[in-house]
Formats: sequence, structure tokens, C-alpha cells
Amino acid sequence: MKSLADKERLPREIVAMRVAKELPDGAYVNLGIGIPTLVSSFVPEGRTVFYHSESGILNCGPIADEGEEDIDLINAGGQFLQRVGGMSFFDSAEAFAMIRGGHVDVTVLGSHQVSATGDLANWMLPQRGVGNVGGAMDLAAGASGVIVAMEHTDRNGQPKIVEECTFPLTGKGCVYLIVTDLAVIECDGKRLTLKEVAPGWTPEEVQQLTGARLTISPDVKEFEL
Amino acid sequence: MPGKPLDPTAMARRAAQELTPGAVVALGPGIPCRLPGELPPNGGVWFLAESGVVGFQGLGVDLNVVDGSGEPVALLPGGSFTGVVNIAGILRGGHTNLAILQPAQVSASGDFVHWTTNATGATGTTNATGTTSATDGLFAPGSAVDMAFGASRVVAVMPHQGPAGQPNIVSQCSLPVDGVGCVDIIITDAAVIRVGPTGLELVEIAPGWTADEIIAITDAPLTLATNVKDMTFEVPELIPPNKVYATAIEALKDVPEGAVVNVDGFAGPGGMAHYLMVGLRDVGVKGLQLISNTAGIARMSAFGAPNIIDHSILVENNQVAKATASYPVSPSASRPSAFEEAYNRGETELEVVPQGTLAERLRSGGAGVAAFYTPTGVGTLLAEGKETRTIDGKEYVLEMGMRADFCIIRGHKADTLGNVVYKGTSRNFNPVMATTARITVVEVDEIVEPGQLGPEEIVTPGLFVDRIVLRPPDFSAYL
Repeated sequence: MKSLADKERLPREIVAMRVAKELPDGAYVNLGIGIPTLVSSFVPEGRTVFYHSESGILNCGPIADEGEEDIDLINAGGQFLQRVGGMSFFDSAEAFAMIRGGHVDVTVLGSHQVSATGDLANWMLPQRGVGNVGGAMDLAAGASGVIVAMEHTDRNGQPKIVEECTFPLTGKGCVYLIVTDLAVIECDGKRLTLKEVAPGWTPEEVQQLTGARLTISPDVKEFEL
Repeated sequence: MPGKPLDPTAMARRAAQELTPGAVVALGPGIPCRLPGELPPNGGVWFLAESGVVGFQGLGVDLNVVDGSGEPVALLPGGSFTGVVNIAGILRGGHTNLAILQPAQVSASGDFVHWTTNATGATGTTNATGTTSATDGLFAPGSAVDMAFGASRVVAVMPHQGPAGQPNIVSQCSLPVDGVGCVDIIITDAAVIRVGPTGLELVEIAPGWTADEIIAITDAPLTLATNVKDMTFEVPELIPPNKVYATAIEALKDVPEGAVVNVDGFAGPGGMAHYLMVGLRDVGVKGLQLISNTAGIARMSAFGAPNIIDHSILVENNQVAKATASYPVSPSASRPSAFEEAYNRGETELEVVPQGTLAERLRSGGAGVAAFYTPTGVGTLLAEGKETRTIDGKEYVLEMGMRADFCIIRGHKADTLGNVVYKGTSRNFNPVMATTARITVVEVDEIVEPGQLGPEEIVTPGLFVDRIVLRPPDFSAYL
């Protein structure tokens, strides 16, 4: 019998596409590094969203073409951007006032671990002894809450969704939605509810690769894109 | 018969003698607002209006450019506009050398009651005649409290007596005070009185008055200075101090050992003062405590290149004792930065601070706010040992404001008064850090004359900037 570890999972682009559905028209959105960065490519037609970056920019333009990179026009992930109309620049204190003050509507981050109560652990791997927190804790503390987009298990096959985080926390109870390459899981701070599963996967299989108990939604369905 | 009281213009001219070149001066409503009109409009001092004007002088006509009394004023070349929060920060954050106020009462220990709108609501009529009165039950200090507490020195300019002949200088204020022990010197229409540790001292007398006459209309003990002078009314010549330094080394040679130095550069290379960094390395001062978003990762990140100048040049020169940063190490553990290697060898200390908390700690430090409660980091390693408090059912952690000895920032253009504009995302921490240091040094691509930067375009008003260095056109950010 084929092990679950070898079973086909969704590509990162599909995870990003599923997250993109969560972005309302007109929303101000902050995307973290990794799968979250891809989300901007899949915003449903007819919706306009405005990207915020901690580097001090609102309404980020697309990634700059090769040879057109401007060191004075970057996002927080280290990408060079194009200049577009309606873009504005501000200092770091204001950039984070927007986050903490609840003016950024949707935040999408990657993570090392997410707990059953929505704790986020994404800034430090304990074995390194030192970590880069960057803006992650501010984003986690932002009034909007956090959507996590990540692989369901780590590179050793260990669950990233766990009862209690073992890695240093970024924020407590801040995650309200988890989208992985296997599932869409809602988090209300008390329990994790499995809402959608990847094609070909059963809720029971998803549970086997999850380190926390999942409540299976009565209307659980296949990924809806 | 006592002498004739001085008119408000004469009082304002005497107050102008308290100014020094380059001083930042906050003016309260009333007689103090006459002061700028008495000086040559050369930008020798920075007049602040709590309405959001930095650098005005004399009367204007534009109703969008008004002082704290609502009177139109003329913006000087190099003047700029900012928000009220920033004005309050300039006042509280120790950036204001002098506040000139018109109190209704000053006590023997320097307490004051601010002049307020009188009961008929007729502001402006009082300052025209120079009479003044406080109104019971109308506690309306406006910005006077921020001015009095924030400024290094407070000058009270006021009539010696109220309209009904009641003394305005008293042993103890008879109305609720707006500031305790704030006033340093009182300039009236009859005398100049210093507020000393042991009480009031008469130092100057207006023409036609005698010391006894002044004592008679002062309701507080008044001693005579050893050398009581006649009041004079010449205004000083105030030449703006030169802020332009020839080289980075010239601008940084007095950085002391162990100095706290703020360095911008979000992650580099944009926003990083590469030329000043090389200057700081060449000055060679040790034991530096850097406050910065990263501790030098431009060489390791997608932003940079292996040979780009970043904090690593200071680390490799054994100059860094501590870094306070949000993103201190390379994104990749397998490619450690110079700082991480030094840290792992035990040669440097590290304080990791969330990026938004870092920005806000700098902003508050620069604005004179000692600490603040933030939700960021609650329940994490970075909040361990810190005070927390639940407000409206949500938990917050107390974070302290931060200041520095020196600050090295990167602007795009500056004028010779130190006003700075930035380019794109290279703004980030620069304007915030500029407010935090005893000495702020800016590196720019171009230095222009005052008036060549638009007043709405200026991000960092020149009063925050002490030294300006031109990045040499042939300077390379790569080693």
C-alpha cells in the first residue's frame, strides 16, 4: 500500500489560488514570504486589492523586470518593484501603525507551526539559537488576524499543525484560517475545523498528517477554487 | 509716577535677545507671535507653530499657513509643514530649545497659568493691547503645556499687571497651574526677572522705571541682581549654523567610544548611508551599540551583493559591541553574516525587537514618550520579563522608547538647513531615526539651497538634522 507521505499533494500555486479567494475586493493586504508571495498572481478577476509592505509602501506594483531594478523600490521580501500610479511611501513607524492599528485587512503568512488554538510559530528555529523576527510579530498582533499558507507537513514529514507549538511563538491565537497543500482549516481559537480537503484525500487521511485534533465540518468538501 | 509700560513690540524685541542661532523656538499665542516679525527672515532660528508649521517668520496672507493663534504667517525658504503629532513630538522630544509663552500668572517658583480665551470669547483683542487675563473655569492651555514641559528653556512674556492693575507675578498662582516650575525668565512691560532656585531676581529694568516701583507691582519677593541693567531692544543677528561637512570622517570624528548609533537601511542597499558607514569604520571608534533593522544582511540577501557595504564592515573592524535589530542575521543559516559569526563567538550582544516595535520605540524616543503598550509580542520570547497590562480585555506589553548618541541616515536630497527628502522605500526607518539622536548625520545625493525643496515634500524638517554630508558622485557602495 502506498504511504500517505508519497501521495500527491497540491502544488504551491493551487494553495496560493485558494488563499486568493479570501481577499475581498478593495482589501489592503500584506503577504509574507514563500507561498503567500504567490497569492498576488491569483486574485480572482474583477477584484482589486492593494498590497502593503513593511518596507514602507502601499499599493505595491508588480515585480520589476530584469535590468530595471531600483534599490529604492523594494518590498519586505527583497523583491524589486515597478513604480505604478497610486503608490505611496511612508516611514516604518507608519507602516506598522497600519498593521497594528487594524488598517491592513488581510495578512497571509507562512509558518513553521500552527497550534490547535491558532498560535503562530514562524520566526525562529530553536536549533539556530538566533532568529529574524522582522515584522512577523507585528503582523500576528494586527487586528485583522492571520491566514497561514504553508505545506501541511515539514520536510521530514512531521505535522506543522500541532496541539501546542514547540517552536518559539510569533503570536498567540492569531490564526483564523490555515490553507495547506492538503486542506483548508478554520480556527476559532478553540478548535480546528476541517472545511476542505485536497482532491483524492479523505478527512481521515488529513487527520493522520495533523498533530492536532480536527473537527470535521459536516459539509466538508473538496478544495474550492 | 512709574514709567510707561512697554508696548508688546518692545517686549517681543527684548524676548528676541534670548534666541541663539539655529534654535528651535515654540511660540504661544499672544505677544510671542510678534517676535518673528521683529527678526530678519534669514532662517537663523526655527519658529514652530503648533498648527503644523516649522520655519516661518513674519505675517503672511495664505489662510492655509497660520500660526498657533490662527494668524497667517510667511513660510521661510526651508520652512515646511507637518502634522500636529510631529509638532508635539518636536516639543516633547527635547528638540525645542526655547518656548516663549504669554502666561496670565507666573509664580515665584516658575509655575504658570496660561493666558486663555477670556469670558467674552474675545481672543486677539487682548494680545493687541498687551493686556492679559486668565479666566476662572476656562482651562484652555492649548499646546502651552507641551511647550512648557518640552522646551529646554521657557520665557514668559507678559504685562507686569492685569487690566485691573492686579499683579501677574505672584508668590503662588491663584488659578489652576498649567505647568509647575517651568518658567526660567519673565519679560514684562516693566522689567526682566529671572526665576532662580531661591526665587525671583530682578535683572533688567525698563526705561523710566525704578526697582522700587517694580517691587511694588510684584506680588512675590523680588531680590535685585548684583548688576541690574537697563532693558534694551536691539534684536540679535542670527546666522543659521553651517551644517554641511566636507567628508564623512569630518562628520563622525567625535563619535565617542561605546556610543549608541542608529543606522538605517531596511535591509540594504537602499536607504543605507554607505559613505557614512565607511566613514564610521575609518574613524575606528569601538564598542558601538547599533540600533538598526538588520545587523548587516545586504551581502547575504536578495537585496544586495556579496561585496556591498553594510554593517559587516563595522563588525569585521571589531567596532560593534551590541546590535538591536529585528532582522539581525542572514535569511539562510548556512550563509551566516559577519554579525552572526561574531555573535556566535561571543563578541557581540544582541537584542531582537519586532520591527514595528523597533520603529515605535524609536518614534516614541524621539517624541519624548518614555514607553508605550503594544500588542506585538505578547506571549512570546521577546516579551519575557516585560510588564504587561490588559486594556479593554486585550493584553499588551510595555516597550520603552529609545534614543541614541548618533544617527546615520540616508536621504536623497537635503537643503543647507538640513531639510531632507527621501526616495521610494529608502525612506523607511530614516525619518524615524532622525528624531532620536543627539547628533543626526545625513548622507544625500544632492545638497540644495533652502527653498528648493517643496515645503509639503520635506519629510524630515531640518531641525532634526545636525550634519549634512554629500555622498561623493564617484562613491561606490561596493567594496
